[in-house]
Amino acid sequence: MSFFDRFRKKKKDAPVAKEAKKSAASAPVASGVVCKTKTPESIEANYMHAADLGELLPGAPPNGKIKLAIYWAAACGGCDVSLLDTNERILTIGDMADIVMWPIAVDGKEKDIAEMEDGSITVAIISGAIRNSENEHMAKLLRQKSQIMVSYGSCACFGGSPALANLVAGGSKELLDYAYQKVPSTSSFQADYHPDAPVMPQTSYAAPEGELTLPVIYDRVKTLDQTVDVDYFVPGCPPLQETISHMLKAFVDFVYHGVPLPPKGTQIGVTTSSLCDQCPRTKEYRRITEIKEPFQVDVDPDLCLLDQGILCLGPATVGGCNARCTIAGQPCRGCYGPTKAVQEHGASALTAIASLFPVLEDDGIIGEDKIMDIMSTIKDPLGYFYAFTMAKSLIKVAVNEKGGQ
Amino acid sequence: MTEFEPKIVAFCCNWCSYAGADGAGVARLQMPTNFRIIRTMCSARVDPEFVLRAFSKGADGVIVLGCHPADCHYIGGNYRARRRIALLKLVLDQYGFDPKRMRLEWVSASEAEKFQKTMTEFVDTIKELGPTPLKEVKH
Repeated sequence: MSFFDRFRKKKKDAPVAKEAKKSAASAPVASGVVCKTKTPESIEANYMHAADLGELLPGAPPNGKIKLAIYWAAACGGCDVSLLDTNERILTIGDMADIVMWPIAVDGKEKDIAEMEDGSITVAIISGAIRNSENEHMAKLLRQKSQIMVSYGSCACFGGSPALANLVAGGSKELLDYAYQKVPSTSSFQADYHPDAPVMPQTSYAAPEGELTLPVIYDRVKTLDQTVDVDYFVPGCPPLQETISHMLKAFVDFVYHGVPLPPKGTQIGVTTSSLCDQCPRTKEYRRITEIKEPFQVDVDPDLCLLDQGILCLGPATVGGCNARCTIAGQPCRGCYGPTKAVQEHGASALTAIASLFPVLEDDGIIGEDKIMDIMSTIKDPLGYFYAFTMAKSLIKVAVNEKGGQ
Repeated sequence: MTEFEPKIVAFCCNWCSYAGADGAGVARLQMPTNFRIIRTMCSARVDPEFVLRAFSKGADGVIVLGCHPADCHYIGGNYRARRRIALLKLVLDQYGFDPKRMRLEWVSASEAEKFQKTMTEFVDTIKELGPTPLKEVKH
């Protein structure tokens, strides 16, 4: 056993012990057990066990229900589905809370919310980034009407995939032009039906019945906390099912039993270390010589994905997801965002991945061009490393300079 | 109109390039004063986040200086650094920056003249490129 092996073993044992202490204090989380397992079957069994939390949510409280508002801004809807994914517990949520707004499931309208008193909603859960004027209006309205605001999902917390559009230097105009004139289907439609002047969506239109309006699309996608004051963050694409149960239980405990809430700004459902700590794969600390996509190789179920040449952002991403993707043989794309110590998720991932390229025998004599050729094997580094965190990065927009791409 | 004076951040490693810069100062070599040196223990200590933060705060150019390959005080720090900087250059290129705004150069402790030459060249390059394009866009 080498010096490093001893070190590794110690490190592996540590989170299990920590997890045991944690589960005694609060609700059981089985992620520590997942760390110990080896075979894919046992990993799966443990994972299923981790997902089943039993009856966590309390029933209707004696002195009335809390009010819950759920809204989606610029999001795909996956976050709402993850809320529904709480299975039969969704019924308990109904017992516990009045859902005053939830566009995907409940018939609450904007004017109903606007008529409510300020601060009368207990919790507002918002998923999705702030993309247009409607998103911003609803975020501000719900902030005004609710006591606790939760930023739910990667798009609300970090910008997510919508924020990658910030890299279009021309802003909203270029985006609309592309979508309505350059995409093959729309370009042929415009050529066939509007050959003189292409028809573009208008933000206001004077119809005979009155003025019709559409939301204004912004040049830059913002996160929720760049727009309004946010109390809690739940990252993930989408967040784990048990996280929402834990979160709602914490709110109910606070409202009815006076149990103190976590401090403002807490990220709910994340661990203190990176995803590699939760990932059960064996880390050999080998080097990347060739980059591969998961479909190009027969993925070894037991070995670290980076050791197999698959670019996994686990080393730079905070844990909390129970390594769902890496257990299934897919690399981590970084949806849980950076660890607490860093601001830039992309730069952190870039550092981790670049350090895994081996030192060559002739490294002392080769020039920077050769190194550039090696690193160019990573296609689209900006899109890959910032896939979920573009709106939170240090340089948030693309620039247009001669010589640049 | 006054001539454009760029703001440049130079990261120098403690063991080679910082000593090289010191040597250039002691020898009173003439060079432009547009750069601010930040001393790091190794070129590998320069997290890509530092460089991105420098650019986001308005730096017109960033240069990272380290020991020559095979000459690193920590054996392999500069091998790591050159891979990171290469990847970072690709990222900056995708952002739309001219890749010439970011440079990696090797300057040893005895190469005061190379330090002078490198810095003068780099300042000239940035002067040619003009102010950082981030100034024009709200970010």
